[in-house]
Amino acid sequence: MKLRLRLAVTTIAAMIPTMLGLFWFDAAAQHRAAEQILVDFAYPRASSAREACEAAPASWGRELAPPPGVPGGPRPPPPHKKGLPPGEPSRPPPRRARPAVAFAYDESFHSQNPDAPVLPEKLVRAIGGHDVAIVPFSWGDPTVEVLLRMPWGSGPCSFVLARGTTDPEWGAVLPETQLWLLPTLAVFAAMLLAVGPVVRRIRQLTEAVRRSASNAYASAVAIDGRDEIGELSRAFDAAGREIRAQLEEKDRREQALRHFLANTTHDVMIPLTVLQGHLATLRERAREGEPLDAGVLVSAMQEAHYMASLVHNLGIAAKLDTAEIGLQRDAVELDALVARVIGRHRPIARQLEVSLESAVPEEPITIQADVTLIEQAVSNVVYNAIRYNRAGGHVAVILERASSDGFCLRVIDDGPGIPEDELSKLVARGARGDEARKRAPSGQGLGLHIAYRAAELHGFRLTLGPSEFGGLEVVLEGKLAGA
Amino acid sequence: MSRRLLIVEDDEELGAQIVARLRAAGFEPTWWKEGRRLTQDELPKVELVVLDLMLPGTYGMDMLKDLREHSEVPVLVLSARNDTADKVRALKLGADDYMTKPFWPEELVERVRARLRRPKLERSDVLEVGILRIDRARREVSVRGERVEVTRVEFDFLLALAERPGEAVTRRWLAERVLDPDRNGDERTLDVHVSRLRKKLGREAIVETVWGIGYRLAAGADR
Repeated sequence: MKLRLRLAVTTIAAMIPTMLGLFWFDAAAQHRAAEQILVDFAYPRASSAREACEAAPASWGRELAPPPGVPGGPRPPPPHKKGLPPGEPSRPPPRRARPAVAFAYDESFHSQNPDAPVLPEKLVRAIGGHDVAIVPFSWGDPTVEVLLRMPWGSGPCSFVLARGTTDPEWGAVLPETQLWLLPTLAVFAAMLLAVGPVVRRIRQLTEAVRRSASNAYASAVAIDGRDEIGELSRAFDAAGREIRAQLEEKDRREQALRHFLANTTHDVMIPLTVLQGHLATLRERAREGEPLDAGVLVSAMQEAHYMASLVHNLGIAAKLDTAEIGLQRDAVELDALVARVIGRHRPIARQLEVSLESAVPEEPITIQADVTLIEQAVSNVVYNAIRYNRAGGHVAVILERASSDGFCLRVIDDGPGIPEDELSKLVARGARGDEARKRAPSGQGLGLHIAYRAAELHGFRLTLGPSEFGGLEVVLEGKLAGA
Repeated sequence: MSRRLLIVEDDEELGAQIVARLRAAGFEPTWWKEGRRLTQDELPKVELVVLDLMLPGTYGMDMLKDLREHSEVPVLVLSARNDTADKVRALKLGADDYMTKPFWPEELVERVRARLRRPKLERSDVLEVGILRIDRARREVSVRGERVEVTRVEFDFLLALAERPGEAVTRRWLAERVLDPDRNGDERTLDVHVSRLRKKLGREAIVETVWGIGYRLAAGADR
């Protein structure tokens, strides 16, 4: 439904009950006025005519001709409310009221006048101890009846029924002409007119929003004005800007994803090529009936293991690269995590003949962390310790409670270790995953970088240093859950 | 009496590999190649479920929910995506453990074994680890039934290890628990006690030194 039509329908819907109420009020007011006038008019007349009435109760009353000058009697038509002077030639002659009539009744409410109506039961009850009883107003009935008790209280003229009509001249609220309808219609028309500019502005706004949407919200929705439509336009504008920002963010992410895919492809292809080479060697040797070369086999396994670790790391690096990383913190049992990491790397450690051991306290240690990130961080540190060790080397992972509300996870090895200046570069703050990867193409840089960033994001501390056994000691420290 | 397992894995290659490995390790695996809703009556009679999450038919998480509604069987979840939300959700739904692909077959077998290992019997006064027997109440130690006289420190040390057989225990923790702090006991002192104890127990009842950590009581005959 169009705005204008809706407004018209609403207005009409509101006007109908208002008009009905007004008509009812008008009729009721007329009725009340007529009752009052009838009482004021009939009572003095009847009470001064006792003798005439008692002399001929059957014929007394009838029409009560209003004597001139009786206060409260029918008045000349009042000056018209809308300012039309009475008696103007164009005006139809006022409707004449039927003259009021009166009938006399005795104490038992019977009249000797054959024309007198039987008194309604309601009226008889209502007169009770009162002097005047009135038939209440009912919608659509112009008749006004009042029953009057005469002061003498006996004889055939004990009560007098006066009957008249709601003469329009007797206290009408609404003027008799339909002129009063005019202002109502004028208000109605004004409303429809006033809504015009509003509708026009809304159309302009719609057009502006469409234009803005058609060029991916690059142009502003500019409708001036301090009214609600101006505000709406500004709100659209703000929404457009927000959408633009989100589109840009999406583009940025898409870019990052493409970048990530390109890097992943590059990084995975290298170990994959090495793996293919190992498999080809194995196949050739098998074809020539040479004994299985365990060394090549282990190298192949090592490459596969490295690839798995690399793919996990690249996934996490992409997550870290899109700045506002949402950490999904939850309760993480560190001892179970250590068990998983040891389980993951033990097969390859065995192949490389590196002993891998772990110790956890009796009581479980729970932290609040993103399990994937922390697990990958620990995994990277452990895998590095194995990967850069030598046959017969050792790696130990020790989880301990530190003070009352902290944990300490140490990964120590007796491998060649990392020179001091290399160490600081590897975990350099703010070094992006890419750079870390470039500096250490073997993947060690990326793994440690991720471990460092993961610790930082969790508010944990990762420190690297020489171990007492000549290799590296990596320590991850932080608070327990709820601490 | 091999133990029955249920494997739910849609990938033919991987499924076949897992099943073959577990069978070789002495288990009796049943292999479902797609997920299905489970009701009380349809529950497989198995001791452990290996459940892949990305399945045709019924999603792995829904199967996990069904399983947990009706049974307490341990569930080891295999997740191809290394995604925190998946893991956390699986654990909250009652998974006992999860493994991220890829994994080495022996890792899977070890995980399954670890899950099926019966919980330690109720605390009794007598602990037996391999050929070693420790009587808590009488504070007596015997090897192959022969009583060995040990000092208080040696007894406490053995007991601490025997309570967690096969697990490495740090020297620091052992020193704190076993040594008397008033007598300047430190980790070096502990080593002295251990070398004496080893002599008393003989070669077989092995107190292993674990590099970088401390000591461990080899589960011995169990293995």
